[in-house]
Amino acid sequence: MPDEWNIVVCVKQVPDADDVSIDPETGRLNRSDAAAVLNAPDYNAVEAALELREAVGGTVTALSMGPPTAEAVLRVAVGMGADDGVLLSDPAFGGSDTWPTSLALARAADELDADVVIAGEESTDSSTGQVPPGIAAHNGWAQLTYVEGLEPAPGEDRLIAKRDVEGGYERVAADLPVVVAMGFGENKPRPAGLHRKIYAETDFEPETWTAEDLGVEDEVGLSVSPTQVGGMDTADPVPREQEVVEETDELAEQIAEVL
Amino acid sequence: MPGGDSGVDVEQYDDVWVFVEQHDGEVAGVAWELLTKGRDLADQREEDLVALVMGEDLDETSIPEECIARGADRVLVADDPVFEPYRSDPYGEQFRYLVEERKPAIALIGGTHTGRDFAGRVAVPNHAGLTADCTELEMENGRYEMRRPAFGGDALATIICPDHRPQMSTVRPGVFPTAEPDDDREGEVIEVEVVVQEEGTMTEVLEREVGDVADITDAEVVVAGGIGVEGDFEPLWDLAEVLGGTVAGTRDAVEEGWIEPARQVGQTGKTVRPDLYIAAGISGAIQHLEGMDDSETVIAINTDPNAPIFDNADYGIVADLHEVIPELIAYFSEDRQEVPA
Ligand SMILES: Cc1cc2nc3c(=O)[nH]c(=O)nc-3n(C[C@H](O)[C@H](O)[C@H](O)COP(=O)(O)OP(=O)(O)OC[C@H]3O[C@@H](n4cnc5c(N)ncnc54)[C@H](O)[C@@H]3O)c2cc1C
Ligand SMILES: Cc1cc2nc3c(=O)[nH]c(=O)nc-3n(C[C@H](O)[C@H](O)[C@H](O)COP(=O)(O)OP(=O)(O)OC[C@H]3O[C@@H](n4cnc5c(N)ncnc54)[C@H](O)[C@@H]3O)c2cc1C
Repeated sequence: MPDEWNIVVCVKQVPDADDVSIDPETGRLNRSDAAAVLNAPDYNAVEAALELREAVGGTVTALSMGPPTAEAVLRVAVGMGADDGVLLSDPAFGGSDTWPTSLALARAADELDADVVIAGEESTDSSTGQVPPGIAAHNGWAQLTYVEGLEPAPGEDRLIAKRDVEGGYERVAADLPVVVAMGFGENKPRPAGLHRKIYAETDFEPETWTAEDLGVEDEVGLSVSPTQVGGMDTADPVPREQEVVEETDELAEQIAEVL
Repeated sequence: MPGGDSGVDVEQYDDVWVFVEQHDGEVAGVAWELLTKGRDLADQREEDLVALVMGEDLDETSIPEECIARGADRVLVADDPVFEPYRSDPYGEQFRYLVEERKPAIALIGGTHTGRDFAGRVAVPNHAGLTADCTELEMENGRYEMRRPAFGGDALATIICPDHRPQMSTVRPGVFPTAEPDDDREGEVIEVEVVVQEEGTMTEVLEREVGDVADITDAEVVVAGGIGVEGDFEPLWDLAEVLGGTVAGTRDAVEEGWIEPARQVGQTGKTVRPDLYIAAGISGAIQHLEGMDDSETVIAINTDPNAPIFDNADYGIVADLHEVIPELIAYFSEDRQEVPA
């Protein structure tokens, strides 16, 4: 029975949504020059991890899989208060869909002896929300998704979550280890403390693990990914009249026309 | 280990499955929408459409028969107390077994919180391909192509799953039309073996508080509010009433607790396609537009002339909604009285 919990928080680097633009010349999606940032919903995951550590004691380790530049999001998490960070980086991971991505994260969580893994609801780039349940499934662990709040029950080795479900909520108790996906916007992420931020940006060095370190070199990458992106189009904006009227009456007439 | 040639004999897999999400005998509306698309795909592939229902005392409900009436050729029923209420671990284990036994080619799952929780879990043990939030599902030259928005809705990606089975897709509510029942349709109901026991589960549902789940996807008029509403949705309800419509909101309005989650429009909410969509105090974020872009006519009310919603609206007014909405209510209330009954 763990006295203190090893908490692992998954953080993903994504292109800044405000920066993803459509090239007016080619009509193609321009994301290469978009600034890379921490996935917005992952701030809620980091906050939940820090609150859990405050409640039960233990450590918070930030975990990210991505190119070497992804260490920046580990620094964000450490700045907010995470104790440590691990980067999974290897060209072998390239082209991974959610199946191998969640496998690599699951192996790393196991390696870190995680009692609780906390992730965000979904990413803002490919937004599948499949990675957290995937981590749980690969390790045969319990999962709690769309979480509004956590109530640790360390005496019972369980974590209780209030989950948002269609038409209401439910409270579910899960045996440790467990994977949590925090609902986006469900808590108020704390700002980084000044000293912690300086540490995160200067002295802190994340550990980097390769696919081989995790023993997954034959199980990651494009070739084992069941899904492939077969093509990508920019979504054409729906043509609209874009007429701005001055008076409510004019607006009402337009509405009456439709009815 | 499955790889580029995955070692999966895809020829062995056929039929289109639909996961019929139900809670306490109430079917999630999206399941009936999936039967529409599932029927279409099964017909094109010359295969059967199979509905999968899991729960307790399902024989006391009319769900299996309703699945047939709405297009299924076969209904697989897994009936056991362990399946009520929904939990990912017993559902996942049962699904893994059924897929191994019966080898479906395609599986469609509703993009509700329950459906996404389930899909993400079950895709892993079967090494299935799982595509999230599909908005188009088509057979193209014999290949199953799934199209889905990405980057918040800026792009439309085509996803394929050539070497793995089943090819799984989640679909958010409101994307496909509801399959209407035809009581003359015939089909087979099959009770399947239950392979999970309560002792093996890792989770326990302590409490469940669920009311009626509002359905905004069929409304012809939607009055939607955002942060600009500043808390009081009452005027929007009044306007919806005089226009014969319903009320919806942005994710931010839902998070504020001003309106229930079932009424959220957008990427992580519902897709609506009314004749008239009134966006009041809504900025027009891409994730919101994604759920309302199929509306016939869009009206925007916003104090900020630069709000992106104006580029995505047919008619707009730069004004305070707290003034415009009461004026609209008055206009249409009078209008009603003028028209002889
Ligand atoms: C246009 C496009 C569409 C795609 N569609 C699909 C698809 O339908 N199905 C599919 O299987 N793959 C798809 N992919 C591949 C998918 O983007 C990658 O597998 C991705 O790395 C993980 O998926 P996600 O971003 O959707 O994660 P999500 O499941 O949405 O992320 C949820 C949470 O998991 C954690 N997390 C996710 N990724 C990481 C990471 N790399 N490091 C640390 N934590 C992480 C974060 O906490 C995050 O908040 C697509 C890729 C593209 C480019
Ligand atoms: C992963 C992810 C998924 C998301 N999914 C969804 C989704 O499904 N649906 C969704 O809606 N959002 C979604 N969002 C959030 C989305 O990005 C926006 O934050 C959200 O849509 C903004 O809501 P809003 O328009 O109500 O608020 P704001 O953006 O704050 O806009 C409020 C608007 O009200 C106007 N206003 C203020 N006062 C008045 C007044 N008195 N009269 C008239 N106008 C006024 C302002 O000018 C402003 O334009 C998602 C985000 C992420 C990251």
